[in-house]
Amino acid sequence: MKSSIKALLLIVATSFGITGCESRTPEPASTNRPAALEGQLPYNPLAWKAITAWTNPRQGTMSTLYGNDTAVTHVRSGSADPYPRNSVLAVVTWAQREDPHWFGAKIPSHPQSVEFVTMPSTPEGQPVYARYQGSPLAQVQNMDTDTVRKNVASIVSERAAVMP
Amino acid sequence: MESRPTARILTYLVLLAFVGFLAIQFVRPAFTNPPVTAELQAPPEVKRVLRNSCYDCHSNQTQLLWFDRIQPAYWLVTKDVEEGRAHLNFSEIAKLPAAQQKGILYEALNQAQLGAMPLPRYTMLHPRARISDEDLAILKNYLHPPAPDPSPDPAIKAAADSQYDQWIHASQASLSVAPAPNGIAYFPGYRDWKVVSTTDRFDNHTLRIIFGNDVAARAISEHKINPWPQGTVFAKAAWTQQVDPDGNTRAGSFIQVEFMVKDSQKYASTGGWGYARWRGVDLKPYGKDAAFTNECVGCHNPVRRNDYVYTFPIGGQE
Repeated sequence: MKSSIKALLLIVATSFGITGCESRTPEPASTNRPAALEGQLPYNPLAWKAITAWTNPRQGTMSTLYGNDTAVTHVRSGSADPYPRNSVLAVVTWAQREDPHWFGAKIPSHPQSVEFVTMPSTPEGQPVYARYQGSPLAQVQNMDTDTVRKNVASIVSERAAVMP
Repeated sequence: MESRPTARILTYLVLLAFVGFLAIQFVRPAFTNPPVTAELQAPPEVKRVLRNSCYDCHSNQTQLLWFDRIQPAYWLVTKDVEEGRAHLNFSEIAKLPAAQQKGILYEALNQAQLGAMPLPRYTMLHPRARISDEDLAILKNYLHPPAPDPSPDPAIKAAADSQYDQWIHASQASLSVAPAPNGIAYFPGYRDWKVVSTTDRFDNHTLRIIFGNDVAARAISEHKINPWPQGTVFAKAAWTQQVDPDGNTRAGSFIQVEFMVKDSQKYASTGGWGYARWRGVDLKPYGKDAAFTNECVGCHNPVRRNDYVYTFPIGGQE
């Protein structure tokens, strides 16, 4: 009896041994290290609140628009007025990668750029645009004014995603 | 002299076990293959994979092997097939709307990819049912073939615009939200939580933001996320992907917000997490009764070793 149980266990163990290496398991829990923002940024947008998100399928990127409290309160009110002074908006754009846990999903990979739009503190002032890219993220110098104007217009025109 | 009674007792026990074994062979639960009424319509190579790996438990064409018919295995097998058919039945799936069928197939594929399906106890004895990497590739290609770039849909934009107006005007008044059927109350403050990650779901054309409360954010900064600490709450908000004229997709209409609430004692029966979902801009609680959480747990079960959490949190929220 005992030896037959042993034999049975051996058979089961062997079959596990043969087939065990084929079994699939989820990737272990971890933070998304590639997606972290490395570099000298004037603010940490990840500590702010989210306003909305979008993707660019051709570039394979995904972006989240964040704002400081002043900016978020304003944009969520749906007001047509310009952002109040000292509002700061930030767009973080990540390259996408396949979600190892879900075929059918893409998640953030390496950051491509972080853009900041700072509203002026005086009524006469203009919004200040700054763009950081590279690894580690570093500010892009000497951007042409047309591009800056277009980027600012596009960022401030984003409305808040519906979050009831 | 002492060994003889022991040997006799052992012989009796073996005999008794054998008689018992024979007796239970006659206790057989009814098991039938009901007619195939609405079988999945799919290319032959896709059907071959599903037939080979899934149909024994997820169709009305179950083929039992001789050892499946021996008790007590037979009880387990019939129970597995009964549960399997109730959850997903390829012989009846075609009566569901196409989009729902596709959603079910995506979930099935992901259960297979994460090693949760076919059940390991089944493939151990039915090694031919194992899903190979080639099989997975066939299913993936079927579910997500190369597609042209999506184009803007005026109806989707109009729906999103009207919902936005409704939300902006309603946000002044306080919205009273009914609790989920399992008693979990709504967390209106989720929108002010830190963003844990975002996901672009091309399987169902949605965009999601996953938010985490302060406990979650601290756990991420301290790298203590498996298990997540007591009091962790996640919110996952989903929007339809609205395609812009430039080809970008943005958060369109709000679909739903779902929550996972960590309390190992209170939610011990559902893996230590309480689940809740509210749908639509009027935040209707999801589920007829508290049993709705079976769906949540079923889908999160393949990542139970990761404390049931799919998301890889982006660090640096603090």
